[in-house]
Amino acid sequence: MSHLNKPDLTSASGRQYWRSLDQLADTPEFREWAEREFPAGAAELSPDFQRRDFMKLMSASFLLAGFGLTGCRRPVEKIYPFSEKPAGYTHGVPGHFATGLSSRRSGAALVVESNEGRPTKVEGNSLHPDSNGGTDALTQASILSLYDPDRATRFAARGRDLSKEAAYEALDEAIATASVNRGRGVAFLLEQSASPSRARVIESLKRKLPSAIIAEYEPVNFGNSRLAIEKVMGQKARPQYHLDKASVILSLDADFLGVEEDSPRMIRDFASGRQLESVDDKMSRLYTVEALMTLTGANADHRLRVPSSQIGKVAAQVAARLLVKAGQTSGPLLTALQAMGSVDGVSPAWIDECANDLFAHRRAAVVLAGHRQSPEVHAIAALINEVLEAVGSTVVYRDDVAPELAGIQSVTQAVKAGSVETLVIVGANPVYNAPADLEWAKLIGEVDKVFRLGYYEDETGSLSRYHFPAAHYLESWGDVRTSDGTLVPVQPLIAPLFDGVSELDFLARWLGDGQSAHEIVKKTFASESKDSSENAWKRFLHDGYFKSGARASKRLTVDSASLIAILGDSAEAPSSERLEVVFHRDYSVDDGRYSNNGWLQELPDPVTKITWDNAALMSRQTATELGLSSGDLVELTLDGRALEVPVWIQPGLANATVALALGYGRSNAGRVGGVDGDTVGFNAYALRTSNSAHIASGAKITKIEGRKFEFSCTQDHWSMEGRAIVREGNLEQYHKKTDFAQNMDLEAHASHIPHDEQGRPKGLYSHPYDERDSSRSDVHQWGMAIDLNRCVGCSACVIACQSENNIPIVGKDQVGRGREMHWIRLDRYYAGDLELRKKQKPTSSDDLQPTFEWIDDPQVVTQPMLCQHCESAPCESVCPVNATVHDDEGLNVMAYNRCVGTRYCSNNCPYKVRRFNYFDYNKRPIKKLYLGPLANRSEHEIDLVKLSKNPDVTVRMRGVMEKCTFCVQRIQKAKIAQKIKAGATSDVQVEEGAVVPACGQACPAEAIEFGNLLDPESKVSKLKKNDRNYSVLGFLDTRPRTTYLAKVRNPNPKMPDYQAMPFTLSEYKDHMGDPTVEHHGHHDDHGHHDGDSHEDNHETAEVGGSH
Amino acid sequence: MSDVFPKWTNKLPLYLGLTVAVIGASAVAGVWYYFTPKYTRVGYQPLQPVAFSHSVHSEQLGIDCRYCHDGVESSWFSNVPAASTCMNCHKAILADDDRLAPVRASLESGDSIPWVQIHKKPDYVYFNHAVHVNRGVSCVECHGQVNQMEEVYHAKPFSMGFCLECHRNPESHLRDPDEVYDLNYRVDALKQEELGEKYVHDWNVNASQNCSACHR
Repeated sequence: MSHLNKPDLTSASGRQYWRSLDQLADTPEFREWAEREFPAGAAELSPDFQRRDFMKLMSASFLLAGFGLTGCRRPVEKIYPFSEKPAGYTHGVPGHFATGLSSRRSGAALVVESNEGRPTKVEGNSLHPDSNGGTDALTQASILSLYDPDRATRFAARGRDLSKEAAYEALDEAIATASVNRGRGVAFLLEQSASPSRARVIESLKRKLPSAIIAEYEPVNFGNSRLAIEKVMGQKARPQYHLDKASVILSLDADFLGVEEDSPRMIRDFASGRQLESVDDKMSRLYTVEALMTLTGANADHRLRVPSSQIGKVAAQVAARLLVKAGQTSGPLLTALQAMGSVDGVSPAWIDECANDLFAHRRAAVVLAGHRQSPEVHAIAALINEVLEAVGSTVVYRDDVAPELAGIQSVTQAVKAGSVETLVIVGANPVYNAPADLEWAKLIGEVDKVFRLGYYEDETGSLSRYHFPAAHYLESWGDVRTSDGTLVPVQPLIAPLFDGVSELDFLARWLGDGQSAHEIVKKTFASESKDSSENAWKRFLHDGYFKSGARASKRLTVDSASLIAILGDSAEAPSSERLEVVFHRDYSVDDGRYSNNGWLQELPDPVTKITWDNAALMSRQTATELGLSSGDLVELTLDGRALEVPVWIQPGLANATVALALGYGRSNAGRVGGVDGDTVGFNAYALRTSNSAHIASGAKITKIEGRKFEFSCTQDHWSMEGRAIVREGNLEQYHKKTDFAQNMDLEAHASHIPHDEQGRPKGLYSHPYDERDSSRSDVHQWGMAIDLNRCVGCSACVIACQSENNIPIVGKDQVGRGREMHWIRLDRYYAGDLELRKKQKPTSSDDLQPTFEWIDDPQVVTQPMLCQHCESAPCESVCPVNATVHDDEGLNVMAYNRCVGTRYCSNNCPYKVRRFNYFDYNKRPIKKLYLGPLANRSEHEIDLVKLSKNPDVTVRMRGVMEKCTFCVQRIQKAKIAQKIKAGATSDVQVEEGAVVPACGQACPAEAIEFGNLLDPESKVSKLKKNDRNYSVLGFLDTRPRTTYLAKVRNPNPKMPDYQAMPFTLSEYKDHMGDPTVEHHGHHDDHGHHDGDSHEDNHETAEVGGSH
Repeated sequence: MSDVFPKWTNKLPLYLGLTVAVIGASAVAGVWYYFTPKYTRVGYQPLQPVAFSHSVHSEQLGIDCRYCHDGVESSWFSNVPAASTCMNCHKAILADDDRLAPVRASLESGDSIPWVQIHKKPDYVYFNHAVHVNRGVSCVECHGQVNQMEEVYHAKPFSMGFCLECHRNPESHLRDPDEVYDLNYRVDALKQEELGEKYVHDWNVNASQNCSACHR
């Protein structure tokens, strides 16, 4: 129909009207339709037809066209089958491929789901010998970066388009020159990698270009422990901890549940050491010495607040005590350790008793030092582990086989000396994250030929002469060696979307032997497995790992002379005039590599609950001394460099410490992560210099008067106010009454109200299942149990859920209005000493919280909160259109098409887990939501958004309520699979373990169990029979299908900071009575608490801090 | 008497009557259109790029549905076959026939044949073919007698009521799994009742009528 031309419509009159026809006339559907329905008329259209003719012809049917195409009759859609179907592919059946993600010197084995060729969901590979299938939030979110519209999509020269051919021509020329000069004048700057294939390429590169500088730079790295081991043990090795075998753990600033290397593995082991299935189970005890309030500190039984620079002293004191206990009562090592001195304000009894406890559990005790600490502290930790005979049981040393590379300093010096003509930057972003004193923004201009392979055209990319778009790991060949030594393949699931180049391909090009990344990886595997057969390779790709003995454990001992040699002068304690700044890896955006990842930006920090920002965190006391309050903008000065940053008062932080998260304040990260003039957070790298990588002293703060900063924090009320939402006790209370958690809150006190035969309070209304028995399935009844003793609050579940359920991000402004969309959230409560709490006047204003004394040394509890799938759901009874109803298997379901957006359900939900789509978050740019249809994301972006979606879950539009569905799509999938298997038999009950919701699958702690309550052998049924099992707000008789298992702490009674019961429990006990004793007729004495401030909070009967 | 009512009000009853008539006519037209099978596309029979006859292949030659729609037993979708599937036979049979030119072209170029989709459910409905055909629901229940169609058309309304009708009384629609792909299979109503009840009981059939069965 080439003769159906677009009409020329330039006249102003009726423009609106014709514009739509213009578009319509050009669509293939229209041509198709015109041809089919009016073949005779269509044939009359000639190339030289007049507008008038066209109108005459079309006007009669025009109304119908609008009707027929968009209204009544659906548009014609095509089915495009394969011309030749690939073997083993069935349309509609998702594929799962094993791959891996390298992160610094470690990595994760993954399984990625692919729907019609689109990777849609990342999971851990549970076949891998050292993985339970759990992942961290960063890994879960890594898939969003694949579909990031702001990623580098072109070859570029300093921000301008460059043809691919020109870029490669320049590169090949540089390679040829380098080969001739044997690498003189060439410098490589790489990021760390755990890929043995990359290590092989670098070794070849070193041989081919011996004069080239090959350097590695990571703003956050875990190298100090290896450095210390090399210094005092004389060998290159890395420690691997087995916390599941430990009875007593001491963390020296090591946030192993959060930002340390391999955190999913550590969380898994820690959680299994805290396992309490029955009263006889032994539980590990965690001591933490730290300056920041970290997840590890939040989960500690005893937490000591010490400025970061002083932690070495505590370590030395513990080591000295242990040496004496082990019989080494004199000697130069002991003297040197004792000479390091003590920390003001730290009770010697704390250190004594901690050391006693460690010593009493020799062989089952372990000490970990954090990556922010100096090699000195790591060496002391290694010594302690040796004294505790931990080596071989809770600590294993393994060969460290990474190649020896130069640091960023040597590249900097060479550039300054003018000896670098060609600078090759692979991945790294030194202009943003190199130490400020190296001034890379200036330095990069001094080299003419800068080749950069980058995932974003970021700070470094925009200044590079030749910028090559990097491929995502799901688009590349590669490999990873996980920390246990296992080899994991990285295989592409999709061809590079934007012509990206993989790191391995880019580096291999310099070797000039024409080998592709695929061939290199295959060769690495063949040499490691000693099997070059195609079958072995396929097996490797299929299983996603090869267990190799490449990294055997070894016995190492500390050489005391070398240890004494590195024990340095003790650092001066900080004060409010000489503040200590701690630069730390961020829980969400890491060191900035995930800045442009919307899921992670919107993920509330697990501790502060701030989204989309970092802040200068400081303690209450320090803020008071400096006259600051949360939100004040200050100028933080360090060594002549200044940074404007807002203050946030954080409970539990060491005094005179300012904690600044890295990875924010980007000047060219993208539309999510911030660009100049529209930055997200504040750039901590601006203050960070070469000699103060993580801990810097001597900082000053001046308040900028009259300026406030607005944070978007998802939980701004800190205390649980004595309510029994998170129920916890010490081991002592647990042993006294294992079901203490069931003896709490009103449901346990209400002996005067009628109970049903199961002993539960009788509800006001009869249950729908009881009314009509046919409404209850006798095959499946779904339920979930969350063990709070296992959950550490890492938030991997939040991102896993977001990825599985197509949950959009809403932006900082909307989060500030309480409109975040996360179906599962991590509630975090602080609790403090009751006597101190009582000193404070009860107040309703959250602004005053940071001034209360009890927040200085708080206990922290975290609780995943999601739709509880109440059997008597309050949301269902108020929905005027039956959009939220119960199904026969116990799910509280949402029919999006019925929802008219009254939000009554959300108002009536006591758990505050329902989320409303205030805008079309998928269709609109998050900064222009209020423009409505006037602001649409570009077609290109929408296409990428579509690619990333899970096809099994509806994408919700504006005006619709949504919430956790228990991953109903996974339930249905499992049921369908079972029914297909059953065929003409009655075997339709799905097997245990066939349904795993996204949150439970991602959870490295295995805290979330889901399954069929009708199967008495299912894990969830067993957990629900556990004595610690309780319902949140059970007194409302909502009968949630999601229940929690009470948290148990394991403090040491001999410690000076020992609390006979957790703070939350003593608060609860104060006005509700002791749950470890039976309340016979206890309800009678409730009356005299009526004047109590806490009563108000009971009436609201809602969970969560802010909304 | 003064002009309490201006003169035009004389025509008010007429205007009112006209308005009511227009509204009434629109309502009738709306119901006529939207409540009749045309809206649910019953009878929709678009022209396909290849003149493929189900009646020849299935009814005359007796080729099983699953020879071409091979994903139906394991997938959400009952796939349209790849051009290579057609050419398995047509390499030898009617190898030079003009009607098969698009198929040969597709295999040669690698481009798809743009079949026009006839049966379509809304995006928010998740329908799984595999679970139905494996549990005794025949193709004919939803697609009609495709085996007798020269050119495929939309035989049944794909409305929610249509789905629910079967989910409410699965007994009247279930059959022996061996007969699922026999689109000519007939059984008298009484016998069907008896067999259906037996199947529902023996296979523990619970055709869900909950929202979550199809919407998620």
